[in-house]
Amino acid sequence: MQQIPLTDEEALVLLQSISSDELESFSQDIYDEVANEVSLGLCFEVHRAVKLGFLFLDESKEDEKKFEIVDEIGRDVFGQVPMKKQFECICPNCQRNLAASRFAPHLEKCMGMGRNSSRLASKRIANTGKVDSDIDDLDDGDWNYGNDKKSSKKKRDKNCPRKIKPKARNEERKALLLQCCGVISEHTKKMCTRSRRCPQHTDEQRQIVRLSLLGQQITLPETTDDIQVDIDTYDEGQTQLLQEAMYRSWDTGSSTNASPADSGSAPGGSISSKRKEKRASSNSGRSGGSKKSKSRLPPGGSSINMGNHGALVSQPHLPSDI
Amino acid sequence: MKTAVNQKLIETGERERLRELLRTRLIECGWKDQMKAYCKDIVKEKGVENVTVDDLVAEITPKGRALVPDAVKRELLQRIRTFLAQQTKI
Repeated sequence: MQQIPLTDEEALVLLQSISSDELESFSQDIYDEVANEVSLGLCFEVHRAVKLGFLFLDESKEDEKKFEIVDEIGRDVFGQVPMKKQFECICPNCQRNLAASRFAPHLEKCMGMGRNSSRLASKRIANTGKVDSDIDDLDDGDWNYGNDKKSSKKKRDKNCPRKIKPKARNEERKALLLQCCGVISEHTKKMCTRSRRCPQHTDEQRQIVRLSLLGQQITLPETTDDIQVDIDTYDEGQTQLLQEAMYRSWDTGSSTNASPADSGSAPGGSISSKRKEKRASSNSGRSGGSKKSKSRLPPGGSSINMGNHGALVSQPHLPSDI
Repeated sequence: MKTAVNQKLIETGERERLRELLRTRLIECGWKDQMKAYCKDIVKEKGVENVTVDDLVAEITPKGRALVPDAVKRELLQRIRTFLAQQTKI
């Protein structure tokens, strides 16, 4: 071909003179060149993909087939049967296998700390020596399932009523019975907490209770004759003496309980003489105390009305309500 | 003369249009996917690390040209002829 580029006009002139076959091959050549370019483009694209590593990304491997979405009736997309798995756990307290959904309520009962969990757990805890009354005070981050010797010792001394020494217990009971009626009800087995003058119970009942609880050593401070019970000046020794005398006299005499609600019912007249004796002796031996008024002897020598009723009773006179 | 015509092609931008047309047609007819699969085979055969552009070109060019559907080819040729005819008429 000519080396000098033709002008447009010259090219056109040449084209027109070309035969159709040549035109055809000419077109073909042009097409080949274009096709070549396209192929080359593809090659570059593939080669780049190979070198960058993403040529084979869309090909699935064998181990990925297990992650395909499952499309069966009765199973979910993961291929699992839609039943909830039951997780089992072991209770740290009683070492039992439990279902996870039952774990929390069980633990409540087991450890005795829930709202409705008092009885069995508390019993068990008491038997093993732990104190459950102070569980709330324990540090929450500090679960001690075994016997925590330090803490349990401390708590025994301070708070647990069952571990109190006998002397202390009796002191408490004395104090309690001084203030309350204390008669144990037949059907509930509970002590009456009303005042000592409650109309439901007689002094005799109270005396019985006190006898059974405290033994003959203790009695109510108001057993002194003629003298209003003044606890400050209560003399235990005197009372004991009195008490014994009283009981002896009762055994012999036929004392009956007189009006309970009154100023302390007095025993029967057969005892009156002995009372006089007692009074004399007690008065002489009295270590000094305020004589507010003369009170009548209570039937058991135990329960005496705190308040002084009515008229003073002179010493030699016995109460008239025989 | 051919260079003149080629030059005309480029100047008018017809060459690019032809190229893009060809690409579109080849993708539509699935030629490109076919060639790509063939390329993957070649790559697997030669090894991913060792394949070169020359290898691919040497393999693809004859195969690719042979696989172009006739319809696409005819369309392209028609276009070219039309273009040439236009050129002569101007």
